[in-house]
Amino acid sequence: MEVKFAKIEAKSPAYFIAMAVLALLALAGVYSTYQMHVHGLYLSGMTNRVPWGVQISMAIFYIGLSAGSLVVSGLYGIFGKLEYKPFARIAAYLAMLFLIAGLLSILTDQGRVDRVFVKPFTYFNLSSMFSINPSLYSGHIMICIIYLWALFREKGRLTKIASLTVCLWAIGTHTGTGAIFAFVPRELYNSSLLPPSFVAAALSSGAALMILVMVALFRLTKRYLDPSLVIWLGRRLLAVFLLCALYVMLIENAHRYYLAESHEAGYYFLFGGFHSFLFWIGLIFVGSVVPAVLLFIRRTGESIPWLVFSASLVVIGVLCERFLIVVPGLTHAPDLFPGMEVTGTVVPEGIVTYSISFMEMLQALGVFGVIGFLFLAGLKYMPLAPTKALANNAVSAVTESELRPSASVA
Amino acid sequence: MDRRKFLKSTGLVISATSTALQLPVSSCQMASSGMDRKRKLSENKWGMLIDLNRCSPGCTECLTACRRENNVAFHGDERWDVHWLRKVNLKDHQTGNKKDVLLLCNHCENPPCAQVCPVQATYKREDGIVIVDHHRCIGCRYCMIACPYNARFFNFKENPDWPNKDYPKRSHGVVESCNFCAHRVDQGMKPACVEACEKSGNGAILFGNLNDRDSDISRKIAATPVKRIREDLGTEPKVYYIGL
Repeated sequence: MEVKFAKIEAKSPAYFIAMAVLALLALAGVYSTYQMHVHGLYLSGMTNRVPWGVQISMAIFYIGLSAGSLVVSGLYGIFGKLEYKPFARIAAYLAMLFLIAGLLSILTDQGRVDRVFVKPFTYFNLSSMFSINPSLYSGHIMICIIYLWALFREKGRLTKIASLTVCLWAIGTHTGTGAIFAFVPRELYNSSLLPPSFVAAALSSGAALMILVMVALFRLTKRYLDPSLVIWLGRRLLAVFLLCALYVMLIENAHRYYLAESHEAGYYFLFGGFHSFLFWIGLIFVGSVVPAVLLFIRRTGESIPWLVFSASLVVIGVLCERFLIVVPGLTHAPDLFPGMEVTGTVVPEGIVTYSISFMEMLQALGVFGVIGFLFLAGLKYMPLAPTKALANNAVSAVTESELRPSASVA
Repeated sequence: MDRRKFLKSTGLVISATSTALQLPVSSCQMASSGMDRKRKLSENKWGMLIDLNRCSPGCTECLTACRRENNVAFHGDERWDVHWLRKVNLKDHQTGNKKDVLLLCNHCENPPCAQVCPVQATYKREDGIVIVDHHRCIGCRYCMIACPYNARFFNFKENPDWPNKDYPKRSHGVVESCNFCAHRVDQGMKPACVEACEKSGNGAILFGNLNDRDSDISRKIAATPVKRIREDLGTEPKVYYIGL
């Protein structure tokens, strides 16, 4: 079956409004980053006790999202599943954009943005995960570009090699990202299960986002998408990734809670404040259990609106999870004096809180604006989106006009 | 290819490889002899011993001296104030005993902050002092995440005060922490806090060379029961406490 790709027309007012809004968001991000660069990071909600916040959480969220896109793209690239060829280009393009978003989030969070482009290369530190990861990220983006090029030129062999490389590389990228946290001596960070748990959540959020993007794209451009493709992505791919992520996370928390030495930290994580609400309601209930059940039940699992709903819940859950990786580990202080209580101090020594500032929020929205803009522009200027996506090669004989409109995306 | 040719070529490859490997091996040896020379140059390993029994509760001489000497930023907001040295009041859960503990960078032998710094801006000098190069720091704050002692601080704001013009102040956007007053130590002086504590008459802080067995600090550490904070972490701090 010949899969045809075409640029989107992009002449509707909705397209231009979306582009304008995204550009405004990007400008707002530039403004807040400039302000922080000139006046200092006190404009963010971060403090000396919580030196990482929203931007780092968003960075690892975006980096995670790229994994799932690559796997969806790899269905065609590696496994040669022809029915997923329509998704391959857009998934690869999205994977690249997410990596860029991750890097932008990290970049804008630095105290001295002006030094970031030189010092990490001239004083590379092999023992630092923060040194190793940018190399992984930039390699990732480069391979994505090669892969995309191979897809555009329909280079069968190169596509396969690039797809395989980028998927393997992605495992490295995500393990490395998890290791940023796992390899430091902090009670809620230091866990060898964090990198695999990061990979699992990355895959599930990425697959979920692909479902959302594909359904939205086909619907808005009024192109035909075979529901069975989305159902397979949801009930097979997403469901498996989701359960894996849930499993690793449960083990990690149970282990921490069980052992006497980390029980207090485990208790704090599970029942210690607002973040616990995010964990139980946001991540476990809304982000994992509900979508898992919805995907499992045949009636909801095979309906496109329910699938879209479940996928949205998974993305929200993983967003919570990313925040939960970064912030509670910092608000929970290392216990410097076991058996003793700190009664007076000049810096907050015990458990502290973190609240997001408006400027910080603008930064995060700015990064979203940049990649959203690039995504929409990409659709207009590159043949990324397929004209239609069919599950069965035989159906290709049927012309589009013969397909009942009700059979298209519900 | 017959067997003889195969053996011949294999032999050639092996000998060529081993010759090639010889070069880096010998250059490694040269490098390590250079390292030895360097090591001899700095025979010091600076450490600190704080006697909590001699530290008087209301006294803040060391804190003031440190802040003045090193131009440490104080904005009056606990979220952003920088403290190279700080005092915390502790209460024992069981006995109810209260004590004041002076906290500073522990100048770990295995400093996690230096391990994670992506630009090697934080590093351990050969004399054991853990120091930040403020011209190289990119302000990623990973060292603050990695430090298990909360001893590192970020310049969230520009510091308006500059009391000691002989020592630079830091721009906003970089991380800093106690460096045992390296600039003074290099000139044969004691860190500002130690001097201030001596002047106050308490003499609670002892600074010296841990490599020298006859130094005051080494002898006192050998003779008195001392503790370091969270020794279980394997960071090997070089700040010791009596009465912790």
